[in-house]
Parts: sequence; C-alpha cells; structure tokens
Amino acid sequence: MHKNNLKIFGVSFFCLWVLGLLLWVVPSYSFNLDRFLKDVEKSTQPQPKPRQEELDITIEEPKAPPPEAQQNTGNDGLIGLGQSLGIFDKKTSKILKQSVNTLQALQPIAYKEEKAIGGRLAVEVFSRFGGAYDDPKLLRYINLVGQAVADVSTRPDIDYHFAILNTASPNAFATPGGYVFVSIGLLRMIENEAQLAGVLAHEVAHISQKHALQTLGRSRSLQGISALTLTVMDKNPGLFDKLIDEVSNVLFTKGLDKNLEFEADRYGREFAYRMGYYPGGLQNFIRKLGKSREGGNSIFMSTHPSTGERYNRLKKTWSRYKKASLYPVLGKRFFSVFKRPGKS
Amino acid sequence: MPKSLFIRFSMILPGMLMLLLPHLATAETWYVKKSSTKLQAEASARSKVLVRLKQGTPVKVKKKSRKFFQVSAGGKTGWIFRFKLSKKAPAQKQGEGDVLGTLGGNQRIAARESASGSSIRGLSPISEQHARKKGATSESIQAVKDMEDYKVRPEALDRFLEEGKLGEYSQ
Repeated sequence: MHKNNLKIFGVSFFCLWVLGLLLWVVPSYSFNLDRFLKDVEKSTQPQPKPRQEELDITIEEPKAPPPEAQQNTGNDGLIGLGQSLGIFDKKTSKILKQSVNTLQALQPIAYKEEKAIGGRLAVEVFSRFGGAYDDPKLLRYINLVGQAVADVSTRPDIDYHFAILNTASPNAFATPGGYVFVSIGLLRMIENEAQLAGVLAHEVAHISQKHALQTLGRSRSLQGISALTLTVMDKNPGLFDKLIDEVSNVLFTKGLDKNLEFEADRYGREFAYRMGYYPGGLQNFIRKLGKSREGGNSIFMSTHPSTGERYNRLKKTWSRYKKASLYPVLGKRFFSVFKRPGKS
Repeated sequence: MPKSLFIRFSMILPGMLMLLLPHLATAETWYVKKSSTKLQAEASARSKVLVRLKQGTPVKVKKKSRKFFQVSAGGKTGWIFRFKLSKKAPAQKQGEGDVLGTLGGNQRIAARESASGSSIRGLSPISEQHARKKGATSESIQAVKDMEDYKVRPEALDRFLEEGKLGEYSQ
C-alpha cells in the first residue's frame, strides 16, 4: 500500500475512534435533570458522601456519629496490645480502632430482626399513645394513601402497616420493619390528602432509610456483637431489653438526629410527588403545625427539629418541583372520608 | 470513484461499524422494584396489562417518557410506570435471621439496602413475650396484630389511584 494511503488510513481511523468514543460517552452522560440537581446540591453541601442505594433524589448525609459513640470500644484488646508492644504507633492504632468500630457500626440488621424490634416498639406506641382509634372508614383511607406512597418509596418490597392512635395530641411515628402511626389529633389538623400523603411518606421514609436502625447500629449495647440475630436476642433477654429501651428513648423522648428528620422530609415530599400529589403538602402541614397551639406541647414537636427550620429546608429545594401547582391536593376527597364540622 | 479512494472507504467502513455496534447494542437495564408490577401495552394506566412482572426482573429500557418507560422483558415489549423501576439490581434474598457475614462494609450495606422482597407475617414471638413481660396490655398487643392483618387489596388501591388521578393515572 502506498505510504500516503497508510497515513490517511491512520488519521481516518483515529478520527473515527474519537468519534466512536464520543458517541459512546456522550449519551451515557447526556443531560439529566435529576443528576444535575444532585450535583448542584452536593456541591453546596458540606459533607457530601455517596450512599449505596437507589437515589432519584439528593441525599443529605447524616452527620457523623457523636464522638462518644466512636470511642469505646471493646476493640482495644489486640490493637491496644499491638500499640503497647510497639507494633503499631499511636496513629495506626487509632485508625485500626476506628476501622473496627466502623465495621461494627455497619453491621446490617436483617429484616426479621428489624421487624421483631419494630413490632415490639409498635406495641409500645399503642401503650403510650392512647391505643387504636376506632374508625374503619378512616383506617382504610389511611392505609390506601400510605400504601400508595410506600409503593413508590425507595423500599417498596416490605409490608407497611398503618394505624391511627387515639390521642388528641398531634403525633406521628414510624418503627422499624414497616409500622406507621398517626394520631387522630394530627389528622384533625390536616387539610387535604396531599398533606396526609406528605406526613405518611415522611414516616415511610424513616423506615425505607432505616433511620432508627442507623441509630441502633451505633449503640453501645451492640459492641462486641458480630451478628444480631433472633437467636442472639432470644438468648440474651437483657440485650433485647436494652435495644428496645434505647430505640424507645430515641423515638419517644430524644428524637432522631435532626439531619435524619430533614432527610425524611425531603424523601417524604419526593414520594408524595412521585405518586402524583401536590409536593408542597408536607411543608404546608409543617407550617400549620408550627403555628398551632395543639402542636406546641406535643411529643411530635419535642422530638423533631423546629417547624421553621424544617419548612425553610424544604423551601430551599422547592424549585425542583416544576409546575407543582398543577398537582392535586384532593381536599374534597379527604373531607368526604374524614368529616369535620364546617368542612365538606 | 478512483481506486485509491475506494480502498480507503472499504477500510474505514468496517472500522466505523466496529466502533458503533457496541454503542448501538447498549441499552439501559433497570429492575422491577416490587412483584406484580404491570407491563402494559401502552403508556397509559388504562391500557391492557400484558404481563405482571416479579420483583427483581431485569428490563431493557427502550424509551423514557415523563411517567412511563418503554421496556422489553421476557420477549415482551410494553410500558411500566417509571417509579416501579429501579436502576439498582436487588441483592440476593438474605437468609432469614442471619446477617450478611461477620464483617460489614459498603458492599454489604448496599446489598442490604436493596435486599429482595420480604414479607414476614405476624408479631414476632420474641416481641410479644417481651411486651407481656414488660406489662403491655393484651389490647396493645392485639392492636399491632390487627394492624399487621389489615391488607389493602391491589385492585382497591388501583381504583383509589384512578379516582384520585394519582400514580400512573395522574395527568
């Protein structure tokens, strides 16, 4: 072949290779609004840290566990010995200890165990908050709305159960494994189905994101336990006691880390939106709760960040919901099921 | 056409095809999030249901619209409501009552996050025993059992969504 031909062939092949590469790469990274939004938000967040899960919306990473949770340890044995014998220097020992602690903290709790913990806590919810409210029609409605948003959540593959609590105080809870509660007092403050969907979806998000289990994963009670199985729980009633006490304390007294609450707000709004509801329902309800006298002294308020902070956080990312006003709030349907004086 | 030009093109064309073919063959694979997901004839919730797909079924996405994805699965092509699909493959179903090994890690956590469908019926005996031991009333225990027994039938949920113009019925 002529030398020039070879040169032309070489150049042409290179150009084609570049073209092929572009054709391959560009579609894979073509403009994607979701991804764009994620990138923008990530860049504005102080501690971006990718999570290993399906994400159609941005995640705000919960803050690192408090220092006391990272101390302890029960893992000082060999590493501490290594340090004292001069095998590891102080820094290496620290890194090793942290790694072991992290690995322990990451121990996954399987669904069966999650449900055992959540089921026990569900009994506790009924015991503490007035028992079940008897209204079959309303219960059916809550289950339909709840199931609808759970189906488009990030964890639709487990069974979710919804119940109404017979207490006038506005409360809502989620316990691990799929148990969701709303009080009749809270329902009385709701103005439409979109708000209800937002509230239920917030609770579903706590379950789908395993927020209570994350807290449990950092528990001192689990130090030194490599696998939390039903057998382990059964053989150590004291351990099960402690676990239930700890999660009860978080859910009913201290409240979850506020970043987890913000995350549940964002996910909750997204799940309601995916189901076709007006996505502003949750934030409108939060604002109403903040202004109300009923909300003021409830446990709901003491275990959650301030309503103002929650509302402002949601408003910050509101612009992603284009044409939000076109989505239904279904106020009429809500009041046709949950009849209240002066509302129809 | 001069002979040299013909030779050049005959060399370039197969190269071009070689580069483009893999690209053309690439289609996004998504996975069904929940069992009994409807594959429908058209991008409409009221269209004919071709088949119901099991959780974890991989589907090849051919076209995306705002609400529905056109996909092919098991030799059938149809449309699925987009939020019934996930980009992540579900992990293999975990052994009951077992964790994923003695050492954790991000991969294991990822597996847990997307673990396969789970449906465990009834209040766990350990939960009930513990509740009784701690003095919980039978009413509270029964309330949890009633809560677990309450089921929403898929047809009822479908009708509810249609009436409210929600989900795949939204406009």
